[in-house]
Amino acid sequence: MSSSNDIILEIKDLNKIYPSNVHALKNVKLSIKRGEFVILLGLSGSGKSTLLRCINRLIEPSSGSILFYDEDITQLNLKDLRKTRRSIGMIFQEFNLIPNFSAKMNVMTGRLGYLSTRKSISMIANKEINEKADNNLDKVGLLDKKKQKAKTLSGGQKQRVAIARALMQEPEILLADEPVASLDPATADSVMRYLGKLNKEENITIICSLHFLSLARKYGSRVVALKDGELVFDGLPVEITNEKFKQIYGENAEEIDIK
Amino acid sequence: MSQKIKNNIIILTLIIVVIGSIQYLVFKIQDIYAIYNLNSLLYSPLLTLIVSLFLFLLQLKTGERLKKRLLLILSIMAIVLTILVGFYIVEIQPVKFVLNFHKASNILKNLFAPNFSLFVPMLNALAQTIYLALMATVLAIPFAFFLSFFAARNLMSKRPIPNMVYYIVRTLSTFTRSIEAIVWAIIFTVWVGIGPFAGMLALMVHSIASLVKLYSEQIENIDHGPVEAMQATGAGTLQIWIFAVVPQILSPFLAFTIYRWDINIRMATIVGFVGGGGIGQALQQQQQLLKWSNVSIIMLMIAITVWVMDIMSAKLREYLMRK
Repeated sequence: MSSSNDIILEIKDLNKIYPSNVHALKNVKLSIKRGEFVILLGLSGSGKSTLLRCINRLIEPSSGSILFYDEDITQLNLKDLRKTRRSIGMIFQEFNLIPNFSAKMNVMTGRLGYLSTRKSISMIANKEINEKADNNLDKVGLLDKKKQKAKTLSGGQKQRVAIARALMQEPEILLADEPVASLDPATADSVMRYLGKLNKEENITIICSLHFLSLARKYGSRVVALKDGELVFDGLPVEITNEKFKQIYGENAEEIDIK
Repeated sequence: MSQKIKNNIIILTLIIVVIGSIQYLVFKIQDIYAIYNLNSLLYSPLLTLIVSLFLFLLQLKTGERLKKRLLLILSIMAIVLTILVGFYIVEIQPVKFVLNFHKASNILKNLFAPNFSLFVPMLNALAQTIYLALMATVLAIPFAFFLSFFAARNLMSKRPIPNMVYYIVRTLSTFTRSIEAIVWAIIFTVWVGIGPFAGMLALMVHSIASLVKLYSEQIENIDHGPVEAMQATGAGTLQIWIFAVVPQILSPFLAFTIYRWDINIRMATIVGFVGGGGIGQALQQQQQLLKWSNVSIIMLMIAITVWVMDIMSAKLREYLMRK
């Protein structure tokens, strides 16, 4: 496909001011091409989570626009927003699974955006959704754990279930809010590997906030850094020099290398 | 004199004027209605005076040591006086308690000699009480379950309509809860006649109100993460409630419901006293007839039932919470 140069997401002059008067995002401008693997860097409180949540409007932006293709997400009414959210999957640091549901049931809930309330209640008997759930669990290598309750899974397995849940949406963009921050280094790498695979094989655009530069270099095709709500870096992973690193993370920062 | 002291004097004068007028009013009411048992009210102005003096001294800046001693003396005086007034208001008479024992000895003697021949006939009434409590709980569940979602702050946004619904449900629930079940029972005995149905209705209304509070607090305590995750999939409000909220609250809900059944069994006896049926009504009848050994067996039966229910519900709740 020659569409790899298409711009899928265009963020213009995005501002977010919380009721507590914290200016979390300041005139953020960013355009993301289809198929990119964008890594968001920045200290805690730099606005990474706010930026990700503004994209699917889990947080309402204060001003600015976010174009998904040529549709301004910030202007959508609730009904259209729900429709657009289907195309934008999200995974979280704390996984956000329902602990008492089986892995498969958790994955199936990813399909809710496509169903009416009435149909979603009988979802469990829907053959098509069942097949999709099995298929997506297989993609993250957890088909054998499908009947296990989510709370009994390990951290890495939980995040993979969350990825499978997001895949149920058949997303074009996947937002990942510090997906590996609660995981040990080895598990973190394996979760990132799954994200990389989805990016390459299914051409899903990924925007992922991270703390580790080594993972950013290994998986990202582009790095964007925020500092105090402002965009301070936008470039290739290899372009982040020691100086740039200090600029993003402050003078006293040292890069911790994890393998 | 500094401005602060002047202000304090003005406040003090105002308090004294207010207290004076209250005192005057009390005397007036006593005169008009010929009620002479309002004396207790007179003591509260006295206390207010001491407390206001106390507050006044707190704000003085000079004479630190003197101030501290005065404060100490005043606070001791206030405490002692309050307790003394308490004795007077509650009409506590230890002498009477000791000397008049013989008056109750007859009752107590019979209370320790339960009439066991009434045990089997009373089982029927006991069963009625247990069923009454059970039905009140079971029938309260759907109403409370439905309403609790609208009484949970985290589910009702601050937009005008959800916000209004939240406050209406909350207020109604608090209001209903503040009226004791026994009052509801009196209302319903007039409404549907004396008997277990009236008692059940009273407990049901009270249970709905309490369960709405307990349930909605559970909803407010859920992990918001899954809610956020389902929002992100494009799920609607009702879907989010069904798939992200309900699975998190089911077992605490069950635990609270069992707890409520436990309470209802105890309250079922009380509502029986005003005509709400069951063993409470039997107890009241026997008490009116002054058949104390009959009262005794009924009380024993109630105590055992409550005790067994208590243990059972505690075990069940423990099991559910662990799950």
